[in-house]
Amino acid sequence: MGAGPVRLTRIRLTGRGGQGIMLAGAILADAAMRDGRHVTETQEYGPEARLGATKAEVILSDAPIAFPEVGQADILVCLSRDGFLKYGGRIVPGGLRLVEETSVSEEALDRDLCRFPWRERARHLGLELTMNVMAIGTLQAVTGVVSEESLEAVIRERVKAAYVEANLTALREGERLGSGVRAPVVSPEGKRREGSRHGFNDLQ
Amino acid sequence: MPKMGQSVDRFLRREMLPTVWCPGCGNGSIAQALAMALDRLGTEPKDVAVVGGIGCSGRTPFYMATNALHTTHGRALAFATGLKLAQPDLTVVVTSGDGDSLAIGGNHFIQAARRNLDITLLLYNNAIYGMTGGQAAPTTPVGAHTTTSPATGSVENAFDAVELAMAAGATFVARTTTFDMQEMPVFIERALRHHGFSLVEIITQCPTYYGRLNHIGEAPAMLLWERDMTDAQAGQHGGWNTGIFREESRPEYGDQLRRRQSGGGA
Amino acid sequence: MALRMTMGNEAAAMGALAAGCDFFAGYPITPATEILEEMGRRLPARGGVFLQMEDELAAMAAVIGAAWGGARAMTATSGPGFSLMQEHIGYAALTQTPCVVVDAQRGGPSTGLPTLPAQGDVMQARFGAHGDRPAIVLTASSVWEAYAATRQAFALAERHRTPVVVLLDAVIAHMREPVEIFDLPPPGRAPWPGSRTTKPPFGRHPFAPFGGGRDPIVVTGLSHGEDGLPTTGSGQAAERILKDSITAIAHDPELASGVEGFYLDDARWAVVAYGITARAAQAAVESLRAAGVPVGLLKLHVLWPLPEAALIHLADRVDGILVAELNLGQLVMPIRAAVAGRTPVEFVGRADGLLLAPEEIGARLRTGSGSVVTEQGGRRDA
Repeated sequence: MGAGPVRLTRIRLTGRGGQGIMLAGAILADAAMRDGRHVTETQEYGPEARLGATKAEVILSDAPIAFPEVGQADILVCLSRDGFLKYGGRIVPGGLRLVEETSVSEEALDRDLCRFPWRERARHLGLELTMNVMAIGTLQAVTGVVSEESLEAVIRERVKAAYVEANLTALREGERLGSGVRAPVVSPEGKRREGSRHGFNDLQ
Repeated sequence: MPKMGQSVDRFLRREMLPTVWCPGCGNGSIAQALAMALDRLGTEPKDVAVVGGIGCSGRTPFYMATNALHTTHGRALAFATGLKLAQPDLTVVVTSGDGDSLAIGGNHFIQAARRNLDITLLLYNNAIYGMTGGQAAPTTPVGAHTTTSPATGSVENAFDAVELAMAAGATFVARTTTFDMQEMPVFIERALRHHGFSLVEIITQCPTYYGRLNHIGEAPAMLLWERDMTDAQAGQHGGWNTGIFREESRPEYGDQLRRRQSGGGA
Repeated sequence: MALRMTMGNEAAAMGALAAGCDFFAGYPITPATEILEEMGRRLPARGGVFLQMEDELAAMAAVIGAAWGGARAMTATSGPGFSLMQEHIGYAALTQTPCVVVDAQRGGPSTGLPTLPAQGDVMQARFGAHGDRPAIVLTASSVWEAYAATRQAFALAERHRTPVVVLLDAVIAHMREPVEIFDLPPPGRAPWPGSRTTKPPFGRHPFAPFGGGRDPIVVTGLSHGEDGLPTTGSGQAAERILKDSITAIAHDPELASGVEGFYLDDARWAVVAYGITARAAQAAVESLRAAGVPVGLLKLHVLWPLPEAALIHLADRVDGILVAELNLGQLVMPIRAAVAGRTPVEFVGRADGLLLAPEEIGARLRTGSGSVVTEQGGRRDA
């Protein structure tokens, strides 16, 4: 090592069984691999096939990744309240938290939480199950950790033909929701620098 | 090419004789009937595998000049399943006792019957554990004496292997006795020729334990006991019906699997 | 180079297919089920046999039966199923039946922690069956290594005529990493090298299954000699076969070289780890190295036979060794025996379903020879 700082991003996706957290993690990881990054993706789930908190963890790096577990995440993407309660806590100070707006109660609100109406928008578009992909779209727009082209390519590859268009629509809607937001990003020095944070509350 | 019916000996492994079986044990009769049936089938010892479990019955493979797979207690059918599917050209016979197949291996017994893989199971039923010294088996009749039953006799209900196999879906089901050395090789041959899972339950004598503990006597008396226990009134006095109870054609498991193989590409 | 995000379990299945595996029997169990499913998808298309059995006893039995039917056979399971397979692993060892068992370890004992990782089957993989026997146990700390170890397991099983165990853990089994897309050999069963016409069927002679025009033989779980016939009343012939096999395995250079060193040249302390824990240890070492602390890592690819020569060589050069594993102290015991006092051997481990974090290992490496908690929970001064 010692060849200079390494750009490494630890992302935790969490939600409830059946919301497609595993698929979201897989799409994100596949896309990052297409971008030429080093990637690890791990999962944790309870015994339930439906409901129950689940998480997927994706690490993206410019160098080989030694340890694949995300302890303190740099970025949290959360789709459900039980996911937030179980896995929402372990995040670096100042880390980015993108959450479905109904997954946190009013009293838990703080200004560092970016809330998005993914569920309502996905419902509105006619396929609530695409909420996971919409969240990935928002993550892409806010952070740029993965390229839009790779995400689109992976969705075309991974998703059943009949649902590709719906998922691409969800991806673009997610990107639109995130486009007004600029986030703290990880600098090449490996240190966090504050991005513009206005706009976080504009979404609500 | 040996002529059928003239070369039963070619299926027996002489260097392993004498057998471990007690004088008067019925297992030797079954081994002989199996050799006769294999001979009538016209096959060669190298094209046959006899798979045994643990117990007196499980020793049969040692005395057959075929390939012999002497396995673990209760699991012979599971070994045989892998063997037959890996090499479908082999004729696979399983020799297993009532304890082996109906107690410790009971699940493998019903699952093998359900799958309908082309295996022949010879189920040696002496209604007791012989090799370990006369303990109760799941086939021990109510009231019969064993070293582990109450002094007044067994109070547990016995399994009926034929009913069990039929309920589980076996496609050839028969029962015979070591008393009837005309019938037994015929039933075994028909089981071997049947394409699917075949059960031949053979009521066999254990004079050393069952005969002694139940005051029946030595082998000749036990053979007469077998005759009486399988007579026309067997249903009324707690004996066993004999005969071929089912012989029907259903898709065989190996054929079904091979139909799904394409043999190329990944 | 075409890369694909691949799950560890899928990679293990691909490693088996690459080695010519044409028979799989298994029973569903988390976290090994994806191996079963992957083989169920791929084997029939390659002309192989896939079997879901009624339990793990039956699965292992079918694998052994299939091997005697000429198949390159494998099963996959996790802790509870691995326990059930032990009798048949012993049977395969005594009958010198080549086959492969993948065990994706989860938290135990008993039903334990079905979806959480552990490395608690290390001793069971070596000593789980009754009696004495040769044993080969490989492990993997990445998706690629899950592929490579499983592929290698088949070659070793054939060379030494013994069941080979590949120990994964729930994290390696379920994680996905980019790996080069695997090329599979054309389907079809390669002939076994053994011929029984000139050699006895057992002992240090190549494996030859039933059939194929070969003379019939006897295979038994009773102690037997090279001719396969049981030797009731004397275990000498069987003991000689087992000892010859243990010796051959102990001297196999491929197994002895089953280690990988990181930053060991000038290391004062070294961590010895395997599987997912080796990844944490590597992160810990890299982080301490960046801070100028001279530490290194010896990663094990082979657990049994224990790579003793490499461990002794290491022990002679460092001030201390830290063994890190996801259990309450398993491989540390034979490592201590091998090192035999040449250098202090400390231990860090846990069995609560959580991983050892790089920080946890790093802190212990830093502490070096300080007062430490032993795996038995007591305190002692090093």
